[in-house]
Amino acid sequence: MTRTPILQVENLTKNFGAVQAVNDVSFSVHDHEIVALVGDNAAGKSTIAQMVAGALVPTAGRILVGGQPVAMASPREAFALGIATVYQELALCENLDVTANIFLGREISTNGLLDVKEMDRLAREFLDQLGGRVPDVHAQLSELSGGQRQGVAIARTLVSDPSIFVMDEPTASLSVSQTADVLNYIEGLREMGKGVIFISHNLTDVRAVADRIIVLRHGRINGEFRAHDASYEQVIAAITGLVHG
Amino acid sequence: METVRTYGHITQVELTAATGLSPATISNTVKRLVAEGVFRTQSTVHSGRRAQLVSLARQTGLLAGVQVGQRVLRIAISDPSLNIQRSKSLPLPLSHRADTTLDRAALLIVELIEDLGADVDELTAVGVCLAAPVDLETGMISVPGILPGWEDVEIGAVLSKRLNRPVSVDNDANAAALAESRRGGLRGVKNGIYVCASYSTGAGIIINGDLYRGARGIAGEIGHVQVEPTGLICTCGGRGCLNTVVGADILVESLRLSRGYSSLGDVIREAKAGDIGCRQVVGDAGSQIGAVLADQLASLAPSKIVVGGELASTEELLLSPMRDAIESRPLLFGAVALELAGLHGESEVIGSLTLAYDEQEKVNPMGISPERAGGFSQKAVKS
Repeated sequence: MTRTPILQVENLTKNFGAVQAVNDVSFSVHDHEIVALVGDNAAGKSTIAQMVAGALVPTAGRILVGGQPVAMASPREAFALGIATVYQELALCENLDVTANIFLGREISTNGLLDVKEMDRLAREFLDQLGGRVPDVHAQLSELSGGQRQGVAIARTLVSDPSIFVMDEPTASLSVSQTADVLNYIEGLREMGKGVIFISHNLTDVRAVADRIIVLRHGRINGEFRAHDASYEQVIAAITGLVHG
Repeated sequence: METVRTYGHITQVELTAATGLSPATISNTVKRLVAEGVFRTQSTVHSGRRAQLVSLARQTGLLAGVQVGQRVLRIAISDPSLNIQRSKSLPLPLSHRADTTLDRAALLIVELIEDLGADVDELTAVGVCLAAPVDLETGMISVPGILPGWEDVEIGAVLSKRLNRPVSVDNDANAAALAESRRGGLRGVKNGIYVCASYSTGAGIIINGDLYRGARGIAGEIGHVQVEPTGLICTCGGRGCLNTVVGADILVESLRLSRGYSSLGDVIREAKAGDIGCRQVVGDAGSQIGAVLADQLASLAPSKIVVGGELASTEELLLSPMRDAIESRPLLFGAVALELAGLHGESEVIGSLTLAYDEQEKVNPMGISPERAGGFSQKAVKS
């Protein structure tokens, strides 16, 4: 029994003038799966993320969602196809509370009036699904920790029920307990049946939650591992170019 | 008072039974100690009747419990009565490194205490439980290969150097058995066994109310009982251990071709959701663990077994075949009760807090500051 991947990337290539940022990259993501993209700086991780998120248009190659080829000219179109992106810099409003941030721009209204109760209930539900520890949906964002903010940013993307999450360095510059929160959020997404592309430098975090690890080097795939049987040494050897996959 | 300290929480009715004192004496003693600020009472329901739950009043002093599993690090901070105040779990990579994990454990303890609004100085002791047998004499893992890379690490010393507090280290199933025996499903059971069915299988054995560790802390390692003389080689180096048949890798691998799952969590989730293949895998694991357990029971003869660990969250899917395997032995039929662990997935982490508690008792027997200890111990003698 083979499952259709919810996201496939085929021969993806991106050139910036003479710079070949991504070169002939193919991989797929299934539901209930966390695929990690790791690699040195300028290995092409974020460029791939941006192409999947619709922020960049590939020079060559194609992206398939649910087995259908798609052309995405903007993040909005990617979002409509069920691809949600959580960037390193979270686009949240400090002066609003948790619920308001989650529903910003997509407020629920009945008879032209905001349905605050329903939004609070849904916000609570999203945060609980993620297994998060945001105690109060009326807390101002400025009162929350870095890990809790990641939680709110992820909950915000859940509003439109996407199937694929692209997370670019979600654990960078977080404390250990906040990292724990974010890793639990990512596992929560996996439990909900989502596919996650997890981009990170931190091999400990990557190996803790990923099902598969794809190593990028100079824009090419230089090794693909099942996290299940990949050792630190193998992954590091692929990142540094000691071995060629 | 010692009884309350041992159990953490206890109702007045249970106190009567545990101490052998009359209900009136207990009631008066509790009232007096509440007035003196030693005890705290809460209303609760016990066996359908209203009851007074007695515990020690919140003292200054915090305990930290650390559970190092194969794929998860759990940290809990509690008050001296083992009420968990803050806890956090951090997913760990396969064959995680001792230095990174212990470093993160120390940082998490400090962050959680600060999150509690308390000061790190209030920490009195730390308990650590590991998914490997621990030799209490050396405080180190006694069998190589089970937690690779951790064998040469003086875990207690590393953490006590970082946190400047006494640290107690033991096997996770042992710690969990201790916790179950004091506060969970094995409470009041003289001879009982806690079975942890997780990424690997292990057990903690209570004999005559005390934890039995055996030489080098190996007692209860039922995951390394041979079940297939021609089977695969186990992490311990032996052939055909129970863990080579019911270990997480094997369970997941058996479903990879037909289902494509890649973690134990997937198998458990789908088994609960009703997937027949996953139910089959969990059920077979239950039978195999049950058969090994039945052999142990024939010689140890406990009256009760409680089961914890990730696989136990499938409840009767795992327990029912385990029970069948045990009941199929005429010697054991109807003689052993088998049920889920009383601490609901927290046996290990509460076990590590129990280790911390015992460690603190060793260092400072009353668990309170020396200048107040005199006064309290007099009262304790009186009561």
